[in-house]
Amino acid sequence: MIRSTLHRLFGMAVVMAIVISLVFLIVHITPGDPAAVMLGPDATGADIAALRDQMGLNAPLWQQFFHYIIGVLHGDLGRSIFLNIPVTEALWQRAEPTFFLTLMALLVATLIALPVGILSAYYRGSWFDQIATSVAMLSASIPSFWLGLLFIQFFAVKLGWFDTSGYGGPTATFGERMNHLLLPALSLGAVCSALIMRFTRASMLDVLNDDYVRTARAKGMSEYRVVVKHAFKNALIPVVTVIGLTAALLISGAIVTETVFGIPGVGSLTVSAVLRRDYPVIQGTLLVISGLYVLMNFAVDMLYLWIDPRVRY
Amino acid sequence: MRKILRYTLVALLTLSCVSVSAQSEPAKGGIINVAMIGEPPTLDPMVSTADLVGTITQHIFETLYTFNGKSQVIPLLANAMPTLSDDGKTYVIPLRHGVTFHNGQPMTAKDVLASLQRWEKISSRGRQTAEKITELSAPDDYTIKIVLNQPYAPMLALLSLNNSAAVIMPEAQTTESPLTTFIGTGPYQLKSHQPDRFIQLVRFVGYHNLEGAPDGYGGARKQYLDEIRFVPVTDPNTRVEGAISGQFEYVDSLPVESFNKIQGGKDKPVLLKPYGWPVFVMNTKQGVASNILIRKAIQAALAPQDMMTAAFGSPEFFTLDGAMYPKGNIWHTEEDTSLYRSMGDTAKAQQLLKQANYQGQPLRILTSRQYEFHYKLAQVAQAYLEAAGFKVQLDVQEWASLTQNRANPARWDMYISHSPFLPEPSLTGIMSDTSPGWWSTDKKHAALQAFNSETDPQKRIALWANVQKAIYEDVPMFKVGNFNALAAQSPRLQGVTPAPWPYFWNAYLTQ
Amino acid sequence: MSISLVVNTSARQDSFFWQLMSRPTTAIAAVLLGLIVVSAALAPWLAPFNPGQLAIIHRLKAPDLLHIMGTDELGRDVFSRILFAGQTSLSVGISVVVFTSITGVLLGLLAGYFRALDAPLSRLIDAMMAFPDILLAIALVAALGPSSTNVVIALGIVYTPRMARVIRASTLVIRELPYIEAAKALAVPTPVILYRHILRNLTSPLLVQCTFIFANAILAEAGLSFLGVGVSPDIPTWGTMISQGRQYMDQASWIMLFPGLAIVITVLSLQLLGDGLRDLLDPRLAKGA
Repeated sequence: MIRSTLHRLFGMAVVMAIVISLVFLIVHITPGDPAAVMLGPDATGADIAALRDQMGLNAPLWQQFFHYIIGVLHGDLGRSIFLNIPVTEALWQRAEPTFFLTLMALLVATLIALPVGILSAYYRGSWFDQIATSVAMLSASIPSFWLGLLFIQFFAVKLGWFDTSGYGGPTATFGERMNHLLLPALSLGAVCSALIMRFTRASMLDVLNDDYVRTARAKGMSEYRVVVKHAFKNALIPVVTVIGLTAALLISGAIVTETVFGIPGVGSLTVSAVLRRDYPVIQGTLLVISGLYVLMNFAVDMLYLWIDPRVRY
Repeated sequence: MRKILRYTLVALLTLSCVSVSAQSEPAKGGIINVAMIGEPPTLDPMVSTADLVGTITQHIFETLYTFNGKSQVIPLLANAMPTLSDDGKTYVIPLRHGVTFHNGQPMTAKDVLASLQRWEKISSRGRQTAEKITELSAPDDYTIKIVLNQPYAPMLALLSLNNSAAVIMPEAQTTESPLTTFIGTGPYQLKSHQPDRFIQLVRFVGYHNLEGAPDGYGGARKQYLDEIRFVPVTDPNTRVEGAISGQFEYVDSLPVESFNKIQGGKDKPVLLKPYGWPVFVMNTKQGVASNILIRKAIQAALAPQDMMTAAFGSPEFFTLDGAMYPKGNIWHTEEDTSLYRSMGDTAKAQQLLKQANYQGQPLRILTSRQYEFHYKLAQVAQAYLEAAGFKVQLDVQEWASLTQNRANPARWDMYISHSPFLPEPSLTGIMSDTSPGWWSTDKKHAALQAFNSETDPQKRIALWANVQKAIYEDVPMFKVGNFNALAAQSPRLQGVTPAPWPYFWNAYLTQ
Repeated sequence: MSISLVVNTSARQDSFFWQLMSRPTTAIAAVLLGLIVVSAALAPWLAPFNPGQLAIIHRLKAPDLLHIMGTDELGRDVFSRILFAGQTSLSVGISVVVFTSITGVLLGLLAGYFRALDAPLSRLIDAMMAFPDILLAIALVAALGPSSTNVVIALGIVYTPRMARVIRASTLVIRELPYIEAAKALAVPTPVILYRHILRNLTSPLLVQCTFIFANAILAEAGLSFLGVGVSPDIPTWGTMISQGRQYMDQASWIMLFPGLAIVITVLSLQLLGDGLRDLLDPRLAKGA
């Protein structure tokens, strides 16, 4: 177990190294001068040259890369050109909405998908199964931003149940802030639930046909115990993988959802950083989000390992 | 029995008197959320000419003078109108006593002097004015003296405008560049600023109020509201939705076509008529538009009728007018407006292009989608320009980056903006040689010089026609028309005078 | 069971198409998809109007006989725009599929067949998988500017690992088959083995993944265009049409509804087709990679 964990940790480190290099490269192949952008309209040539020196932009690329790596290891991701605060601070301010949005969307997705998937598998071929599967396919084909727009129009504007955008003002309580996340979480979760639902169904189908289920039934166990206690537990394994993958899907979905609903999270920060050409922030968000992905995959892998002893590397 | 009746009558009468007088002075208190077009690039009003920056910072900082309800200059931080020397070159400005900054410091001439010097150095309008100033000094603690090298009519207006503004800040802050602490004398002070979320202003308790009634931007500032929160909402559709659902007490800059939609919602539409004019500013310094024939071709190709219809929908929201100021305004003149053709003149444009020996270089138009009418104007303009033979490249950016990128002459050939009708015509952006566009010709200088050094207001009106003529002949810009602006306001919010830069220091909430 | 993967007789290929068509949902999906692709490809001939043609006097007209999907805020015919936008969205999707097929198969095949290459290539695959699709595309657009090429490259890079993993898994299985060992024993050169025997058997998982990647690419591209960081904003795509139609949701909902429906129908058909293919070609793949 320890060997596999260490092995995976090492793999994760290698992946992160590649990711950091890619992120650095992406932003540095941009044409244009970040120093000129930073100093703004009234900068003279001398000012710009001085800042380039100070930012180390005149150093050879490998040297800049080296400084960048050192910075990252120290937790210094540079300074936002537009917001004039360290990138880490900007990210930290935005972490809360994105974290809870992803969490809530995942909850919505699982709460819909798991029971529906189990029931569809159990009542295979019934009208419930057919409708559920069709709805799942449909919702997987809907762009989440389109759904979000329709939700805003209906629930926020016409019915007035929710605010149309934003995350609450400076005095908003935690509850009020979470309230702002409900509609976005719903639109994001609905679209992502499809994948989990189909996987759960397929996995349950497999397991329900297995010998040990038949044995359990033959032994006279109640249906409830058979399904929930035995079948589902074993069906969990691939389902956990899918939930892990969905969490990853949710992060990229969060980017668009945050923009539609005006939520000041990491996702909308990335989009506005791109529109404002705020390179340190683009770099920082890329790094942090990819890092989270890698961490999540690692966590899912470890979970997998823990649940299923057969899959020791 | 009679006694009871009598006492009841007296009681009722007293009660009604009390309630009547209570109604005459609105209650203090309340917080309002104001939705703006986006996150401001800065909170330093000296550094930016953007309306967004001015609208927010005018609550925090104040200028020596300001504009009243009739667009006349009246004192704000100054104690009275300045004493002007006979030759019109020396201004002696008395300052008010007892004005304090948000940090408790009293305002004296040394703060004003340092602020004006900072304005001369880093503000675009300030730098332009600095060329006319030979001496700036503080003869005593409550007087400022400005000596010019020639009479300059826009001087006071420049000291009154709230963007690229000559605001007064403590001397200690004037060395900061960029500004990091925002301390002013204004009725509201900055409590907290979370970028992309809100800018929180709270009532400044030590505010030294002027006496008398409010008058436009001047007069008393009653500070009824406890707090004003400016919320950046970049998507115009989200602003519309926010207005309908009543999430904000005031929503700025709404697409005019949503007028009917908003009427059915919680906040009520507020039309500002007329508001101003959209403009295509051309880069006369560098690039394909630096050729006058190309600019004339653009002038001929564009079709304001279609452009304005696409941008504003119905004729109740716009008028086609080539004059810089609308009819009824003292600065209205018809000089050279024959060059403004409502449907354009594609044939003439093609001819001019040929004359200019146009090689097909792309015409780069810089625009943004936060003011959604800018983008619509760009799209229609593109169609007409292409019909005339231009190759057009639309560069869509966020408004904040646009205001920074427009300073780089290598990056654009035309950019789209708009302006309200300014009380002083020479404050218009293109009148400055250094503002993006860099219009700087002898014809312009001659006309502008005459216009600005003339102190007789009547004679100035005639001289303005020459400036408009220069605009039409040099083509540094294309004015598209006049438009009305739409905002939305909660029925509970009162005391907001419709204005191009809405201000809330006299606003109050009713139950 | 593994033999069925290997056996690739021509007789089976003949009936493949009809087997696919025998399921009603798959048949409908295939037909719909075919219609969409063909109409997008033939857009210049099918479109009744020029998609960029402004006609301000006809703006915001509801669907009628002349404009079967109405006009937008600049008087442009929505139906024509949907066709041309379809061209852009679909061609981005197909380019992504081609890109991913080439790189994914290459990576997966090499990782699956050569044990020595497996570990490092798997790390590379994991690294590529570390980026959420939209994020990488946004970053590339920020760096290089909006263009369909950048979007294709970004999405291609992001989806390659998904393809590579599936190919690798299948290769691992095929590699162990007795007749491959026989070929090796007969000293058949490796490239020939790879091409003639292994690659041929990868067509099933490849095809299935292609349909899903196509579907994902269309959704991702729509999201990017909606945000304004996709292909150049001048070019109509279904995503930009939704974004521009948002303002008129009340007075002219057709501007936003039709492109959304176009996306849903296209992606749905692709998914149904992919499901049908998968069920038919290898029931074992029904659980996913």
